[in-house]
Amino acid sequence: MRAQLAVIGRDVSLAFRSGGGALHSVIFFALAALVFALAIGPDLALLSGLAAPILWAIALLSALVSLDRLFQADFEDGSLDTIVETADFLELSVLAKSVAHWLSAGLPVVLAAPAVALLLNLPAEGYAPLLLSLLVGTPALSFLGAIGAAVALGLRRASILVAILSGPLFAPALIFGVGAARAGAVDSPQFLPAILLLGAITLFGALLGPIAGAAAIRLNMTA
Amino acid sequence: MTRKQQRTALIGAVFTVAALAVGLTLTALGRSVAYFYSPSDLAALAAPPSGTIRLGGLVEPGSILYTDDKAEVRFVVRDEIASTPVVYAGILPDLFSEGEGVVVEGRFGPDGRLRAAQVLAKHDENYMPREVAEALKKQGRWKEGERVGE
Amino acid sequence: MSVFDFANPERFERLARPIAVPTGALAAVLIGAGLYYGLFNSPPDYKQGETVRIMYVHVPAAWMALACYTALAAASAVGFIWKHPLADVAARATAPIGAVFTAVAIVTGSLWGRPMWGTWWAWDARLTSVLILFFLYLGYMAVWAAIEDKARAARLAAIVAIAGFINVPIIKFSVDWWNSLHQPASVFRADGPTIDGSMLAPLLLMALGYTVLFIALLLASMRNEIAARRLMRLEGAPGRPVSTVRKE
Repeated sequence: MRAQLAVIGRDVSLAFRSGGGALHSVIFFALAALVFALAIGPDLALLSGLAAPILWAIALLSALVSLDRLFQADFEDGSLDTIVETADFLELSVLAKSVAHWLSAGLPVVLAAPAVALLLNLPAEGYAPLLLSLLVGTPALSFLGAIGAAVALGLRRASILVAILSGPLFAPALIFGVGAARAGAVDSPQFLPAILLLGAITLFGALLGPIAGAAAIRLNMTA
Repeated sequence: MTRKQQRTALIGAVFTVAALAVGLTLTALGRSVAYFYSPSDLAALAAPPSGTIRLGGLVEPGSILYTDDKAEVRFVVRDEIASTPVVYAGILPDLFSEGEGVVVEGRFGPDGRLRAAQVLAKHDENYMPREVAEALKKQGRWKEGERVGE
Repeated sequence: MSVFDFANPERFERLARPIAVPTGALAAVLIGAGLYYGLFNSPPDYKQGETVRIMYVHVPAAWMALACYTALAAASAVGFIWKHPLADVAARATAPIGAVFTAVAIVTGSLWGRPMWGTWWAWDARLTSVLILFFLYLGYMAVWAAIEDKARAARLAAIVAIAGFINVPIIKFSVDWWNSLHQPASVFRADGPTIDGSMLAPLLLMALGYTVLFIALLLASMRNEIAARRLMRLEGAPGRPVSTVRKE
């Protein structure tokens, strides 16, 4: 357990130091919002209707662009070898890496979401459900993304393979995340089931991601 | 902790998380996440939703009314408990008729009528030749909208 | 690679070679008969009329899309756990066939949805989950394509296939769990089929035809793969150029 906490602590502090990835994720997130806003044009009513889906989509994209680096740095400097050889349960180490990824790439995006939502003209009653859905749902992206990142480890064109593999796995989180954010904004009875399913997806991802990811890393490190 | 105890604890944690995920899923499914609202879902709300929604149900027999110039059609979508009036200007799908399932997409107008942007027909899981359908109806063993064999 | 190169593939080849052509012929006969009964010699539906005939192509393709993924995941599990090389070959050969069945189901479903529902496509639970299945097949194939070392590619692709299997029960029960636009199951249901016998017969004939077609394609594809690997191994041997065919 202490080893896992050390991995999380190291990854998070690396991400938040200068040159780390945390700021990059937030900048990417804001930039993607800008792209959508400019593409849709000056129709504020249309934009405000689309704000919640756009925010979810760009949160997903910013998780995706940082995922191919999830194990890559440790792979390149050799510390992944040490982790594989010394960890009692590699699954727990993968879980720790995923949690660190969410703390350094997911959580900053969730915290930046209200400010970006302001630019997209999200209606006032939409903020609380949107933030709740992002908070519950984005960890699933880090967990499930670990599978693709582990499979593509060490490949030259890793990032595109990570995107292809993660896309289908991310779809349920996106569907119910947007569903919850929208339903909550109009106070619909569909809000609670969507949030519950989103929570189930995250829990399920926390099991599937580390198990499948650890299996893939073992293969990639020994073969 | 020894390695064996650690392993046991880990397996216990995995099962707890899995059980929690299944529990959440079942709770959520019990509350039905839907592709569309039913009329009784809408009746349970304090005010009609403001954005675009989908409404699913059966077309109430005798409720289909065309305007004089045939430009608009009005009908009522209902389930066992409640009903919602709909107005639509556009081409209806082949399967659209009285007593049939529909999914309507649109937003509520100020008059409390759903102004449909799209009307989709939903068909059921029964497949049979016309003669069989008529024979079953004649014998009183089956009504449209019901499952065959119930 | 010793087990792979000597014991199993030899036996597989002895088994597969004589039945390859008959299986293909049988598939052609069954599908031909199924299409004849489905398109020309079965009654129109009481509600959908002639359009119901799309069902005979669409429904078995959707069944095969799910069956192929189940086979893919099962073969992957066997290959992953027991390191059985023939299972890896079978899994790899299954993926493109399953992807094509999925594509057929999606395209014919779209053609059926337009006249019946009034739309080519709707983002309801069944349609969306089948589209995700299609992308899972593509992702599986992308892993094989991206990794040069075949043994490692087999293991990694197997992980992807097994992780994606969760989608199969979601597809099956999507129409029961959520109010979808897609109608519930008509054949595989607890209280018996809700489809008349005169329509069920050609449907099952088509399903049988598709299954035999799958077996025929699988055998052909596996024999190809085994032959290609043997060729590569022979070409890899020093001083023995056996062919001018380029490696894949």
